Amino acid sequence: MIWQLDLIILTLIILCAFATISVQDLLSAAIIFGAYSFLMCLLWTEMGSVDVGFTEAAVGAGVGTVFCIAAVFQTTRKVKVDHQMNPSKFIGLLAASFIGIVLLIAQGDFPAWADPDSPASRYLSPHFITNTIAETSVPNIVTSVLADYRGFDTMFETAVIFAAGVAVFAILRRGRGKEENDQAVAAGTEDVNQDLIIQWICRQLVPFMQLFALYVVAHGHHSPGGGFQGGVILGASFILLQLTYDLKTVLQRMSERWNVLLGNLGVFIYAGIGLLCLVLGANFLDYSVLSKILPATSPIMARSHGMLGIEIGVAIAVMAIMIGIYTNLSSHGDHEQGL
Amino acid sequence: MIYSEQLPILLMIFPLFAAFAISVTGVFHTRYCYPVAVCALIGSLYTSVGVLFEVLEKGVIHYRLGGWPPPFGIEYVIDYLNGLVLVVVSFVSLGAVIFSKESVKQELPDKIPQFYTLFVLLVTGLLGMTVTGDAFNLYVLLEISALATYALIAMGKGRAMFSSFIYVIMGTLGACFYLLGVGHLYIMTGSLNMGDLYTLMPDLYASHAILVAFLLILVGIWIKMAFFPLHGWLPNAYTYAPTATSCLIAPLMTKVSVYIMIRIMFSTFSPAFVFNTFAAANVIVWMAVAAIIGGSILALAQTDFKKMLTYLIVAEVGYMVGGIWLANRHGITGAILHIVNDALMTLCLFLVVGIIVYKTKGHQFNNMQGLYKKMPITMAAFTIGALSMIGVPPTAGFFSKWYLILGAIDSGQWSFMAALLFSSLVNAVLFFRVIEIGYFEPFADHHGHGHHDGAAIAIDEAPLSMLAPLVVVALSLIILGVYAGYIVTNVIQFAVPAGI
Repeated sequence: MIWQLDLIILTLIILCAFATISVQDLLSAAIIFGAYSFLMCLLWTEMGSVDVGFTEAAVGAGVGTVFCIAAVFQTTRKVKVDHQMNPSKFIGLLAASFIGIVLLIAQGDFPAWADPDSPASRYLSPHFITNTIAETSVPNIVTSVLADYRGFDTMFETAVIFAAGVAVFAILRRGRGKEENDQAVAAGTEDVNQDLIIQWICRQLVPFMQLFALYVVAHGHHSPGGGFQGGVILGASFILLQLTYDLKTVLQRMSERWNVLLGNLGVFIYAGIGLLCLVLGANFLDYSVLSKILPATSPIMARSHGMLGIEIGVAIAVMAIMIGIYTNLSSHGDHEQGL
Repeated sequence: MIYSEQLPILLMIFPLFAAFAISVTGVFHTRYCYPVAVCALIGSLYTSVGVLFEVLEKGVIHYRLGGWPPPFGIEYVIDYLNGLVLVVVSFVSLGAVIFSKESVKQELPDKIPQFYTLFVLLVTGLLGMTVTGDAFNLYVLLEISALATYALIAMGKGRAMFSSFIYVIMGTLGACFYLLGVGHLYIMTGSLNMGDLYTLMPDLYASHAILVAFLLILVGIWIKMAFFPLHGWLPNAYTYAPTATSCLIAPLMTKVSVYIMIRIMFSTFSPAFVFNTFAAANVIVWMAVAAIIGGSILALAQTDFKKMLTYLIVAEVGYMVGGIWLANRHGITGAILHIVNDALMTLCLFLVVGIIVYKTKGHQFNNMQGLYKKMPITMAAFTIGALSMIGVPPTAGFFSKWYLILGAIDSGQWSFMAALLFSSLVNAVLFFRVIEIGYFEPFADHHGHGHHDGAAIAIDEAPLSMLAPLVVVALSLIILGVYAGYIVTNVIQFAVPAGI
């Protein structure tokens, strides 16, 4: 930890936060918010939590910003500003200051930053640090805690994303009549934003992005990364295609039906592996029992393989749902024309 | 043997896998969505009753997820308290899902698969929050149920979207507070397991950080349960939600939040900390008094039947929070009994609203004119639900109110007792007004003349899929009332923490 660097990053973060709230153009707000996320990701990395930084970069600074921009394009860039101080604003200010003071009071009792004697580094961490390899044979402790020790949380986090996908679909998706559909096909042939240079560059970029995403998923056991990050990058490659070409190019490669099925399949792989463990006679998500059906695998290695399985499930689910959310957001739910 | 060991997780597996099944089959056919959801929730009810009997027989059940011992892994802990709440949650959600068939077809014909997917995910979240023994796992499940609720509310018509947006903001704030609190606990102790926190924390009770953590968690849960004056989001969100949605969330969301508050107060923190170190019990009982009186008065001002009920929910939250913070056996017993009773009473009344909306397309008071003659069974069930809300013996509502009043007397909290009596009086005024409209005012045709084409639904008894759950729930209110003493001596008295 280099305090000069921290100071700069933290100052910039606070500036970004103020700018996001006060800027009058929502598109600028979305972009500044992306910058805010990127600075957060620098901060996480600088604090040594590389996995969190990676996730923040992929989710917060990456697709999060794209979603915000898509939402702004579909609604409005203008914001109604009310400069007058009304009672509800005053109460809000009071509540926020009160919470700030309370949090500062609590801060006084916290152990120092990165204190090796703090309860958080004394209590459970030593067990994970010394035993992860012996118990799960996965070198990246973050992965083993995420996908195995607390794998049940991660399963429901994937389910949260699944729920978000279904929720966006349920709220935004609009059905269309047959005639309307034919008209749309006839009218939608002309393309508005054909730009040769951008399209060519993105066409070269997409395969590398997808390859990198697969690497991130597969290498999550050994280095920062895993299903969430890899899935988001995979999804982002499709979103990039959709931005530079059009919605139809992407829908030709992955139809809505496939998208829904893949989203389900991903979460199902995760929960299904859990159920498989149960059927084989152990507790839910106890991967060690998978050694019964995996050839030449010890219970410890089975845990490692089980984690790889669920990471793949997470990646598939996250990819499909990111694409689904973006498609619905950018086309206003009718899947006819993107941005 | 293995089967009974795996019961705690099986009750989550049914609705979780049903979500995938509904979502996938929904791509091809919408007709399988409803039966799959019903079957899954029957499975949940069956297993949760099994779990409750296991607890009654053998005591507290621990289940290690992934086979890891706590505090390294996540565990499920089921004792007398959440065993009972699990049965309530699965029973109410089963009733709501059976009821939803015709209502969803009428209100959300294009979104049937999405509706049922989110519905079972919400039930998964509620069951998971109830069964878990891990403070962070609770947060993840809170997120699932919250996301599902936002979408289920926003699927309604008119102002539903906007009300849901307000709920998103408030709900996210509540969840943030909870997470911040849990973060504080982790920094101070290094653990996330509730039982583990219970043993680790007593040395730290003097610390400001622990106090702030408790305050943050408490306020977070209060926002989630719409405790007065943090209730602002609830009435509109529940009123404009689709009928089938409000039948599930109105009875359950606030009750599960009250359960979480009990769990955090007595199993993560301890009664000693909550009532001695934190020492704000009196203030909170006064807040509960404000909730009961405020909710009742706001309910009096409504002309919309469904909205009136949502304000009564706000008042009922005051009953339960106040009962717990009375800090004595009777008060807590009453509050826990009221979780059970209020879930069923609210379900009963919202099912009645659902039928009225289905038949008359509205939920104003004047939609109820003359309905006693047109649909006697529905209105008989409504009368039972109303009597229970007022607290007339032998319906269930009387007994929990009785315990709450005993608790108020034990602690000398006369204001709380007065608020309970005032609220009963207001409920009597409210429901007799509705009964009068339904019984004496002549039936008026709200569709006007000239709309009597084939599509119009005749105003008579609702279809069996709506009537059956309503009748079962109404009868269960009486049965619960009759067996209230049995439930208290065999289940709830073990759920009240020792030393109170």
